[in-house]
Amino acid sequence: MENTIKVERAILNLTQDDLSKRIGVSRQTINSIEANRYVPSTVLALKLSELFKKPVNDFFKLGDND
Amino acid sequence: MNTKKIMECERKRLNKITNFRLPHTFWAIGIAVVALSIIMIFVRAFVMEGDTEWLKVVLQKGLLVGMLLMSISKDKEEDELIIKIRMQSYAFAFVVGVAYALIMPYVEFGVSNVVNSGGEAYKDLGGFQVLSFMLLVQLMCFHTLKRYR
Repeated sequence: MENTIKVERAILNLTQDDLSKRIGVSRQTINSIEANRYVPSTVLALKLSELFKKPVNDFFKLGDND
Repeated sequence: MNTKKIMECERKRLNKITNFRLPHTFWAIGIAVVALSIIMIFVRAFVMEGDTEWLKVVLQKGLLVGMLLMSISKDKEEDELIIKIRMQSYAFAFVVGVAYALIMPYVEFGVSNVVNSGGEAYKDLGGFQVLSFMLLVQLMCFHTLKRYR
């Protein structure tokens, strides 16, 4: 799974810490998601979608190995 | 109550039990209990005299309780990644613990026979040895994964 959360975060001018507080996770979790080390749950993906005001498909894409 | 309702009730109860975690303050209490137990184990071994076998058993239990408190207390920021890491560490500790319980008695038997030139009896591992090893592996695995998350 690949994502463009870093880009979306930059558009909203949010730091990892700001984003983590907005969706109720730790900063390290945001870092892991951005580095594609961790695939978030549907709940977290929908929280991000609500915050970015975009569908989940816009910032999460299936990778070659998925 | 029909079968579906009973199953739903059981599933909810089981989920509640498996998701049970103590508040983060129990982490510090666990460390204190472990530290106190370790100190007392050394005191008993090198300072105390007489029959203190009962104290050894109490201190072993104290060590296990302290490590268990550390293991089941919540993290400062308990989110879904931490829950996943915790589950991974439990799975790893379980597999390593079973392997340890199976292999270690033979290693101990072999080594003690080589060192004491034969005649040593085969002994199974005690509950304390296996449980403390599993808890130690779980805690180490959890904190290593947490550091590299």
